[in-house]
Amino acid sequence: MRYRMSVFLVALAAVVSFPATAPAQGQGQTAAKPAVVPSVPAPPGWSACPRCQNDQDRREANVRHKVEGHAFSPRDLSGIWYGGNGPAGLFKNPPPFTPLGKDQFEATIGEKNAAGEYLHTKDTSGEGGGAQVNCDPRGWPRLATANYGFELIMLPDRVLQFFEQTHTWRTIWTDGRKLPDNPPELRWMGWNVGRWEGNTFVVESNGYDDRSWISDTQPDGGWPHSDEMRVVERWRRVNYGTLEFQLTVIDPKIYTKPWVMPAARINLAPGTEIWEYFCVPSDFIKFNNEVYLPVATGEKK
Amino acid sequence: MRTPRPSTVAFAGVAVAFLLGAAASAHHSRAGYDNTPDKLVTQNGVVSNVLWRNPHVFVIWDVKDSNGSVAKWTGEFSSPTTMISEGMSRDTFKPGDPITVTFMPAKAGTPYGLVIKIVRPGGKVVVDLSQRRNLLEQ
Repeated sequence: MRYRMSVFLVALAAVVSFPATAPAQGQGQTAAKPAVVPSVPAPPGWSACPRCQNDQDRREANVRHKVEGHAFSPRDLSGIWYGGNGPAGLFKNPPPFTPLGKDQFEATIGEKNAAGEYLHTKDTSGEGGGAQVNCDPRGWPRLATANYGFELIMLPDRVLQFFEQTHTWRTIWTDGRKLPDNPPELRWMGWNVGRWEGNTFVVESNGYDDRSWISDTQPDGGWPHSDEMRVVERWRRVNYGTLEFQLTVIDPKIYTKPWVMPAARINLAPGTEIWEYFCVPSDFIKFNNEVYLPVATGEKK
Repeated sequence: MRTPRPSTVAFAGVAVAFLLGAAASAHHSRAGYDNTPDKLVTQNGVVSNVLWRNPHVFVIWDVKDSNGSVAKWTGEFSSPTTMISEGMSRDTFKPGDPITVTFMPAKAGTPYGLVIKIVRPGGKVVVDLSQRRNLLEQ
Protein backbone atom coordinates (compact mmCIF):
# COMPACT_ATOMS: atom_id res chain seq x y z
CA MET A 1 0.00 0.00 0.00
CA ARG A 2 2.76 2.36 0.90
CA TYR A 3 4.51 1.47 -2.30
CA ARG A 4 1.37 2.10 -4.27
CA MET A 5 0.95 5.43 -2.56
CA SER A 6 4.54 6.32 -3.34
CA VAL A 7 4.00 5.45 -6.95
CA PHE A 8 0.84 7.47 -6.93
CA LEU A 9 2.55 10.47 -5.42
CA VAL A 10 5.43 10.21 -7.81
CA ALA A 11 3.11 9.92 -10.77
CA LEU A 12 1.01 12.77 -9.48
CA ALA A 13 4.04 14.92 -8.98
CA ALA A 14 5.32 14.06 -12.43
CA VAL A 15 2.20 15.29 -14.14
CA VAL A 16 1.81 18.32 -11.96
CA SER A 17 3.57 21.28 -13.29
CA PHE A 18 2.84 24.89 -13.86
CA PRO A 19 0.75 24.31 -16.95
CA ALA A 20 -1.33 21.77 -15.14
CA THR A 21 -1.88 23.74 -12.01
CA ALA A 22 -2.14 27.29 -13.21
CA PRO A 23 -5.68 28.37 -13.82
CA ALA A 24 -6.50 29.20 -17.38
CA GLN A 25 -7.39 32.76 -18.01
CA GLY A 26 -7.24 35.39 -20.68
CA GLN A 27 -6.34 34.13 -24.10
CA GLY A 28 -6.83 30.47 -24.59
CA GLN A 29 -8.87 30.17 -21.45
CA THR A 30 -10.63 26.91 -20.87
CA ALA A 31 -13.95 26.17 -19.33
CA ALA A 32 -13.68 26.08 -15.57
CA LYS A 33 -15.83 24.53 -12.95
CA PRO A 34 -18.07 26.96 -11.15
CA ALA A 35 -16.79 27.96 -7.76
CA VAL A 36 -18.34 26.01 -4.95
CA VAL A 37 -18.28 29.12 -2.80
CA PRO A 38 -17.81 32.61 -4.30
CA SER A 39 -14.51 34.32 -3.60
CA VAL A 40 -14.24 37.05 -1.02
CA PRO A 41 -14.07 40.50 -2.67
CA ALA A 42 -11.17 42.86 -1.98
CA PRO A 43 -11.85 45.82 0.32
CA PRO A 44 -13.41 48.87 -1.37
CA GLY A 45 -10.76 50.73 -3.36
CA TRP A 46 -8.37 47.76 -3.36
CA SER A 47 -7.96 44.98 -5.86
CA ALA A 48 -7.77 41.23 -5.60
CA CYS A 49 -4.45 39.49 -5.98
CA PRO A 50 -4.11 37.05 -8.87
CA ARG A 51 -4.53 34.07 -6.60
CA CYS A 52 -7.41 35.67 -4.72
CA GLN A 53 -9.54 35.21 -7.81
CA ASN A 54 -11.28 32.07 -8.89
CA ASP A 55 -11.71 31.20 -12.55
CA GLN A 56 -15.06 32.95 -12.76
CA ASP A 57 -13.52 36.15 -11.36
CA ARG A 58 -10.82 35.95 -14.03
CA ARG A 59 -13.26 35.54 -16.84
CA GLU A 60 -15.27 38.50 -15.57
CA ALA A 61 -12.14 40.63 -15.14
CA ASN A 62 -11.05 39.90 -18.70
CA VAL A 63 -14.42 41.06 -19.97
CA ARG A 64 -14.52 44.09 -17.68
CA HIS A 65 -11.06 45.19 -18.77
CA LYS A 66 -11.74 44.40 -22.44
CA VAL A 67 -8.63 42.23 -22.71
CA GLU A 68 -9.68 40.57 -25.93
CA GLY A 69 -8.56 42.76 -28.82
CA HIS A 70 -7.31 45.53 -26.52
CA ALA A 71 -4.76 47.94 -28.02
CA PHE A 72 -1.25 47.52 -26.62
CA SER A 73 2.32 48.69 -27.00
CA PRO A 74 4.63 45.73 -27.64
CA ARG A 75 7.41 47.47 -25.71
CA ASP A 76 5.29 47.96 -22.64
CA LEU A 77 5.47 44.80 -20.54
CA SER A 78 4.05 46.41 -17.43
CA GLY A 79 1.27 44.64 -15.67
CA ILE A 80 0.63 41.66 -13.44
CA TRP A 81 1.18 38.32 -15.09
CA TYR A 82 -0.19 35.03 -13.91
CA GLY A 83 -1.38 31.68 -15.19
CA GLY A 84 -1.00 30.60 -18.75
CA ASN A 85 0.99 27.55 -19.72
CA GLY A 86 4.37 28.02 -18.30
CA PRO A 87 7.14 28.04 -17.77
CA ALA A 88 7.48 25.56 -14.93
CA GLY A 89 6.47 22.57 -16.99
CA LEU A 90 9.20 23.36 -19.45
CA PHE A 91 12.01 22.78 -17.00
CA LYS A 92 12.56 19.22 -18.05
CA ASN A 93 14.55 17.23 -20.60
CA PRO A 94 17.88 18.97 -20.06
CA PRO A 95 20.79 18.28 -22.39
CA PRO A 96 23.32 15.65 -21.29
CA PHE A 97 25.28 16.40 -18.17
CA THR A 98 29.00 16.89 -18.04
CA PRO A 99 30.68 14.48 -15.60
CA LEU A 100 30.58 17.23 -12.98
CA GLY A 101 26.94 17.92 -13.82
CA LYS A 102 26.10 14.26 -13.37
CA ASP A 103 27.76 14.24 -9.97
CA GLN A 104 26.02 17.45 -8.98
CA PHE A 105 22.66 16.12 -10.03
CA GLU A 106 23.13 12.89 -8.14
CA ALA A 107 24.07 14.94 -5.11
CA THR A 108 20.64 16.53 -5.16
CA ILE A 109 18.94 13.20 -4.54
CA GLY A 110 18.03 12.95 -0.89
CA GLU A 111 17.19 10.16 1.47
CA LYS A 112 14.23 7.84 1.56
CA ASN A 113 12.33 6.81 4.61
CA ALA A 114 11.81 3.23 5.70
CA ALA A 115 8.82 2.94 3.40
CA GLY A 116 10.95 3.91 0.42
CA GLU A 117 9.31 7.30 0.02
CA TYR A 118 11.50 10.08 -1.26
CA LEU A 119 12.04 12.75 1.33
CA HIS A 120 13.54 15.48 -0.85
CA THR A 121 15.96 16.18 1.94
CA LYS A 122 18.40 18.05 -0.28
CA ASP A 123 15.83 20.61 -1.35
CA THR A 124 16.85 23.52 0.82
CA SER A 125 13.87 25.59 -0.21
CA GLY A 126 11.54 22.98 1.16
CA GLU A 127 9.48 23.29 -1.97
CA GLY A 128 10.26 20.07 -3.67
CA GLY A 129 7.43 17.91 -2.53
CA GLY A 130 8.78 16.27 0.55
CA ALA A 131 11.33 18.25 2.44
CA GLN A 132 10.87 19.90 5.75
CA VAL A 133 10.44 23.60 5.34
CA ASN A 134 13.38 25.89 5.90
CA CYS A 135 12.48 28.69 3.50
CA ASP A 136 15.81 29.06 1.71
CA PRO A 137 15.42 31.28 -1.36
CA ARG A 138 14.38 29.60 -4.56
CA GLY A 139 16.44 31.94 -6.69
CA TRP A 140 16.00 32.54 -10.37
CA PRO A 141 14.94 30.87 -12.60
CA ARG A 142 13.42 28.42 -10.14
CA LEU A 143 11.14 31.16 -8.91
CA ALA A 144 9.44 30.96 -12.27
CA THR A 145 8.32 27.43 -11.52
CA ALA A 146 5.60 28.54 -9.13
CA ASN A 147 4.25 31.82 -10.39
CA TYR A 148 1.87 33.25 -7.83
CA GLY A 149 1.70 36.38 -9.95
CA PHE A 150 4.49 38.81 -10.73
CA GLU A 151 4.39 42.47 -11.63
CA LEU A 152 6.66 44.06 -14.22
CA ILE A 153 7.31 47.73 -13.63
CA MET A 154 9.19 49.55 -16.37
CA LEU A 155 11.37 52.49 -15.38
CA PRO A 156 13.68 54.48 -17.67
CA ASP A 157 16.78 52.64 -16.51
CA ARG A 158 15.47 49.31 -15.26
CA VAL A 159 12.66 46.82 -15.21
CA LEU A 160 11.54 45.58 -11.83
CA GLN A 161 9.97 42.17 -11.48
CA PHE A 162 8.07 41.78 -8.22
CA PHE A 163 7.01 38.29 -7.21
CA GLU A 164 4.20 37.55 -4.82
CA GLN A 165 5.80 34.16 -4.20
CA THR A 166 8.19 34.66 -1.28
CA HIS A 167 7.65 38.41 -1.71
CA THR A 168 10.85 39.12 -3.54
CA TRP A 169 12.01 40.92 -6.64
CA ARG A 170 14.75 41.21 -9.19
CA THR A 171 16.13 44.22 -10.97
CA ILE A 172 16.82 44.02 -14.69
CA TRP A 173 19.04 46.96 -15.61
CA THR A 174 18.35 48.56 -18.99
CA ASP A 175 20.76 51.51 -18.79
CA GLY A 176 23.32 49.91 -21.07
CA ARG A 177 25.59 48.40 -18.45
CA LYS A 178 27.26 45.09 -19.19
CA LEU A 179 27.23 41.99 -17.07
CA PRO A 180 30.29 41.84 -14.83
CA ASP A 181 32.98 39.41 -15.94
CA ASN A 182 33.65 38.43 -12.36
CA PRO A 183 30.65 39.28 -10.19
CA PRO A 184 31.80 40.39 -6.74
CA GLU A 185 28.97 38.49 -5.08
CA LEU A 186 26.95 35.50 -6.16
CA ARG A 187 23.24 36.14 -6.05
CA TRP A 188 20.19 33.92 -5.75
CA MET A 189 18.51 36.16 -8.36
CA GLY A 190 21.64 36.74 -10.44
CA TRP A 191 22.96 39.91 -12.04
CA ASN A 192 20.51 40.95 -14.74
CA VAL A 193 20.64 43.31 -17.73
CA GLY A 194 18.03 43.79 -20.43
CA ARG A 195 17.82 45.26 -23.91
CA TRP A 196 15.34 45.41 -26.76
CA GLU A 197 15.80 43.45 -29.96
CA GLY A 198 12.92 44.70 -32.03
CA ASN A 199 9.91 44.09 -29.84
CA THR A 200 11.57 41.32 -27.86
CA PHE A 201 12.96 42.17 -24.45
CA VAL A 202 16.14 40.15 -23.99
CA VAL A 203 17.42 39.59 -20.46
CA GLU A 204 20.85 38.18 -19.79
CA SER A 205 22.11 37.27 -16.37
CA ASN A 206 25.03 35.68 -14.55
CA GLY A 207 26.63 35.60 -11.12
CA TYR A 208 24.29 33.01 -9.65
CA ASP A 209 24.67 31.38 -6.26
CA ASP A 210 25.02 27.71 -7.06
CA ARG A 211 23.03 26.57 -4.06
CA SER A 212 19.77 27.13 -5.93
CA TRP A 213 18.36 24.67 -8.43
CA ILE A 214 16.97 25.46 -11.87
CA SER A 215 13.93 23.51 -10.77
CA ASP A 216 13.14 20.51 -8.69
CA THR A 217 12.79 17.16 -10.40
CA GLN A 218 10.68 14.13 -9.72
CA PRO A 219 10.70 11.84 -7.93
CA ASP A 220 13.48 13.67 -6.12
CA GLY A 221 16.35 16.05 -6.66
CA GLY A 222 16.77 19.11 -8.79
CA TRP A 223 18.48 20.37 -11.91
CA PRO A 224 21.73 21.87 -10.71
CA HIS A 225 23.67 24.81 -12.03
CA SER A 226 27.11 26.19 -11.34
CA ASP A 227 28.21 29.68 -10.42
CA GLU A 228 29.05 30.13 -14.09
CA MET A 229 25.46 29.72 -15.26
CA ARG A 230 24.24 32.33 -17.70
CA VAL A 231 20.54 32.70 -18.40
CA VAL A 232 19.11 34.32 -21.52
CA GLU A 233 15.41 35.19 -21.49
CA ARG A 234 13.30 36.48 -24.32
CA TRP A 235 10.08 38.25 -23.40
CA ARG A 236 7.54 39.32 -25.99
CA ARG A 237 4.08 40.79 -25.55
CA VAL A 238 2.17 39.06 -28.31
CA ASN A 239 -1.10 40.82 -27.49
CA TYR A 240 -2.51 42.89 -24.67
CA GLY A 241 -3.28 39.88 -22.53
CA THR A 242 -0.38 37.54 -23.31
CA LEU A 243 3.32 37.58 -22.54
CA GLU A 244 5.52 35.05 -24.28
CA PHE A 245 8.53 33.86 -22.34
CA GLN A 246 11.47 31.76 -23.48
CA LEU A 247 14.51 30.89 -21.44
CA THR A 248 17.90 29.37 -22.21
CA VAL A 249 20.37 28.12 -19.63
CA ILE A 250 24.03 28.15 -20.62
CA ASP A 251 26.21 26.37 -18.11
CA PRO A 252 29.02 24.38 -19.73
CA LYS A 253 30.31 23.19 -16.37
CA ILE A 254 27.07 21.28 -15.84
CA TYR A 255 25.42 20.78 -19.25
CA THR A 256 27.16 19.79 -22.47
CA LYS A 257 25.18 22.31 -24.52
CA PRO A 258 22.75 25.17 -23.93
CA TRP A 259 19.43 24.13 -22.46
CA VAL A 260 16.86 25.84 -24.66
CA MET A 261 13.41 25.77 -23.10
CA PRO A 262 10.35 25.91 -25.31
CA ALA A 263 8.42 29.17 -25.22
CA ALA A 264 5.61 29.57 -22.72
CA ARG A 265 2.78 32.05 -22.43
CA ILE A 266 1.72 33.88 -19.32
CA ASN A 267 -1.56 35.76 -19.02
CA LEU A 268 -2.28 39.30 -17.94
CA ALA A 269 -4.24 39.45 -14.70
CA PRO A 270 -6.08 42.71 -15.26
CA GLY A 271 -7.32 44.70 -12.31
CA THR A 272 -5.26 42.77 -9.77
CA GLU A 273 -2.47 43.80 -7.45
CA ILE A 274 0.33 41.88 -5.78
CA TRP A 275 -0.36 40.90 -2.19
CA GLU A 276 2.04 39.44 0.32
CA TYR A 277 3.33 35.91 0.52
CA PHE A 278 6.32 35.09 2.66
CA CYS A 279 7.79 31.78 3.65
CA VAL A 280 7.97 32.06 7.45
CA PRO A 281 10.49 29.70 9.02
CA SER A 282 9.14 29.89 12.53
CA ASP A 283 5.68 29.04 11.29
CA PHE A 284 6.95 25.75 9.98
CA ILE A 285 8.72 24.48 13.05
CA LYS A 286 5.43 23.02 14.19
CA PHE A 287 4.77 21.58 10.76
CA ASN A 288 8.20 20.04 10.57
CA ASN A 289 7.94 18.54 14.04
CA GLU A 290 4.37 17.36 13.90
CA VAL A 291 3.88 16.36 10.29
CA TYR A 292 7.10 16.03 8.34
CA LEU A 293 9.78 14.65 10.62
CA PRO A 294 7.78 11.78 12.15
CA VAL A 295 7.12 10.48 8.66
CA ALA A 296 10.71 11.01 7.59
CA THR A 297 12.12 9.22 10.59
CA GLY A 298 9.39 6.63 10.90
CA GLU A 299 8.72 7.77 14.42
CA LYS A 300 4.97 7.69 14.94
CA LYS A 301 3.51 9.61 17.81
CA MET B 1 -0.09 13.17 23.50
CA ARG B 2 -2.03 10.32 22.07
CA THR B 3 -5.41 11.52 20.97
CA PRO B 4 -8.43 9.37 20.43
CA ARG B 5 -8.71 8.24 16.88
CA PRO B 6 -11.78 9.84 15.37
CA SER B 7 -14.26 7.96 13.34
CA THR B 8 -12.95 7.47 9.88
CA VAL B 9 -15.33 8.25 7.12
CA ALA B 10 -15.05 6.70 3.70
CA PHE B 11 -15.73 9.85 1.83
CA ALA B 12 -15.00 8.16 -1.43
CA GLY B 13 -16.73 10.42 -3.93
CA VAL B 14 -15.15 13.49 -2.51
CA ALA B 15 -11.83 11.79 -2.21
CA VAL B 16 -11.72 10.58 -5.76
CA ALA B 17 -12.57 14.01 -7.11
CA PHE B 18 -10.05 15.47 -4.76
CA LEU B 19 -7.27 13.15 -5.75
CA LEU B 20 -7.91 13.59 -9.41
CA GLY B 21 -7.73 17.31 -9.11
CA ALA B 22 -4.98 17.56 -6.62
CA ALA B 23 -1.56 18.90 -7.29
CA ALA B 24 1.54 17.71 -5.51
CA SER B 25 3.46 20.90 -5.95
CA ALA B 26 3.05 23.05 -2.92
CA HIS B 27 4.66 25.63 -0.83
CA HIS B 28 5.64 22.79 1.38
CA SER B 29 5.19 19.10 1.15
CA ARG B 30 1.81 17.47 1.54
CA ALA B 31 3.51 14.12 1.77
CA GLY B 32 3.09 14.18 5.52
CA TYR B 33 -0.65 13.84 5.10
CA ASP B 34 -2.38 10.61 4.25
CA ASN B 35 -4.39 11.14 1.09
CA THR B 36 -5.60 7.56 0.90
CA PRO B 37 -9.30 7.99 0.13
CA ASP B 38 -10.59 5.81 2.92
CA LYS B 39 -8.36 7.51 5.45
CA LEU B 40 -10.12 10.83 5.18
CA VAL B 41 -11.42 11.85 8.56
CA THR B 42 -14.57 13.73 9.50
CA GLN B 43 -14.87 15.19 12.97
CA ASN B 44 -17.33 17.32 14.88
CA GLY B 45 -15.56 19.98 16.88
CA VAL B 46 -15.63 23.51 18.19
CA VAL B 47 -13.28 26.17 16.85
CA SER B 48 -10.81 27.32 19.46
CA ASN B 49 -8.48 29.47 17.37
CA VAL B 50 -7.94 30.77 13.84
CA LEU B 51 -4.46 31.66 12.57
CA TRP B 52 -5.21 33.69 9.47
CA ARG B 53 -1.76 34.44 8.17
CA ASN B 54 0.81 33.73 5.53
CA PRO B 55 2.06 31.48 4.35
CA HIS B 56 -0.67 29.10 5.50
CA VAL B 57 -3.94 29.44 7.38
CA PHE B 58 -4.63 27.22 10.37
CA VAL B 59 -7.87 26.53 12.20
CA ILE B 60 -7.68 24.79 15.55
CA TRP B 61 -10.68 23.01 16.95
CA ASP B 62 -11.50 21.01 20.07
CA VAL B 63 -12.90 17.53 19.95
CA LYS B 64 -14.47 16.05 23.08
CA ASP B 65 -14.44 12.29 23.46
CA SER B 66 -16.93 10.11 25.30
CA ASN B 67 -14.98 10.53 28.53
CA GLY B 68 -15.22 14.28 28.30
CA SER B 69 -11.55 14.86 27.63
CA VAL B 70 -10.77 17.41 24.95
CA ALA B 71 -8.23 17.02 22.19
CA LYS B 72 -7.00 19.95 20.12
CA TRP B 73 -6.74 19.39 16.40
CA THR B 74 -4.94 21.63 13.95
CA GLY B 75 -6.22 21.96 10.42
CA GLU B 76 -4.02 23.41 7.72
CA PHE B 77 -5.24 25.32 4.69
CA SER B 78 -3.56 27.12 1.83
CA SER B 79 -2.48 30.73 1.98
CA PRO B 80 -4.97 33.45 2.92
CA THR B 81 -5.09 34.53 -0.72
CA THR B 82 -6.00 31.06 -1.95
CA MET B 83 -8.62 30.71 0.76
CA ILE B 84 -10.07 34.08 -0.25
CA SER B 85 -10.50 32.67 -3.74
CA GLU B 86 -12.36 29.80 -2.08
CA GLY B 87 -14.72 32.15 -0.29
CA MET B 88 -13.14 32.01 3.15
CA SER B 89 -12.12 35.15 5.02
CA ARG B 90 -10.40 35.90 8.29
CA ASP B 91 -13.84 36.37 9.86
CA THR B 92 -15.39 33.15 8.59
CA PHE B 93 -14.62 31.15 11.71
CA LYS B 94 -14.58 32.39 15.26
CA PRO B 95 -13.76 30.64 18.53
CA GLY B 96 -16.83 28.81 19.74
CA ASP B 97 -18.16 27.97 16.27
CA PRO B 98 -19.29 24.35 16.06
CA ILE B 99 -18.03 22.77 12.84
CA THR B 100 -17.82 19.48 11.02
CA VAL B 101 -14.41 19.12 9.41
CA THR B 102 -13.22 16.66 6.79
CA PHE B 103 -9.47 16.43 6.41
CA MET B 104 -6.50 14.33 5.39
CA PRO B 105 -4.86 13.21 8.63
CA ALA B 106 -1.15 13.47 9.33
CA LYS B 107 0.56 10.16 8.65
CA ALA B 108 2.47 10.72 11.85
CA GLY B 109 -0.64 10.13 13.91
CA THR B 110 -0.43 13.63 15.32
CA PRO B 111 -3.62 15.69 15.72
CA TYR B 112 -2.97 17.48 12.49
CA GLY B 113 -4.78 17.51 9.17
CA LEU B 114 -5.05 19.10 5.77
CA VAL B 115 -8.58 20.46 5.59
CA ILE B 116 -10.83 19.62 2.67
CA LYS B 117 -14.27 20.67 3.80
CA ILE B 118 -15.99 22.45 6.68
CA VAL B 119 -19.73 22.39 7.26
CA ARG B 120 -21.71 24.28 9.86
CA PRO B 121 -24.50 22.73 11.90
CA GLY B 122 -27.54 22.61 9.67
CA GLY B 123 -25.47 21.64 6.66
CA LYS B 124 -24.22 24.97 5.32
CA VAL B 125 -20.99 24.32 3.46
CA VAL B 126 -18.54 27.06 4.34
CA VAL B 127 -15.51 25.85 2.47
CA ASP B 128 -15.26 22.91 0.13
CA LEU B 129 -12.02 22.22 -1.66
CA SER B 130 -12.94 18.74 -2.76
CA GLN B 131 -14.10 19.66 -6.24
CA ARG B 132 -11.40 22.17 -6.94
CA ARG B 133 -8.16 21.79 -8.72
CA ASN B 134 -5.05 23.02 -7.03
CA LEU B 135 -6.13 22.00 -3.59
CA LEU B 136 -2.63 21.01 -2.76
CA GLU B 137 -1.04 23.79 -4.67
CA GLN B 138 -0.10 26.33 -2.22
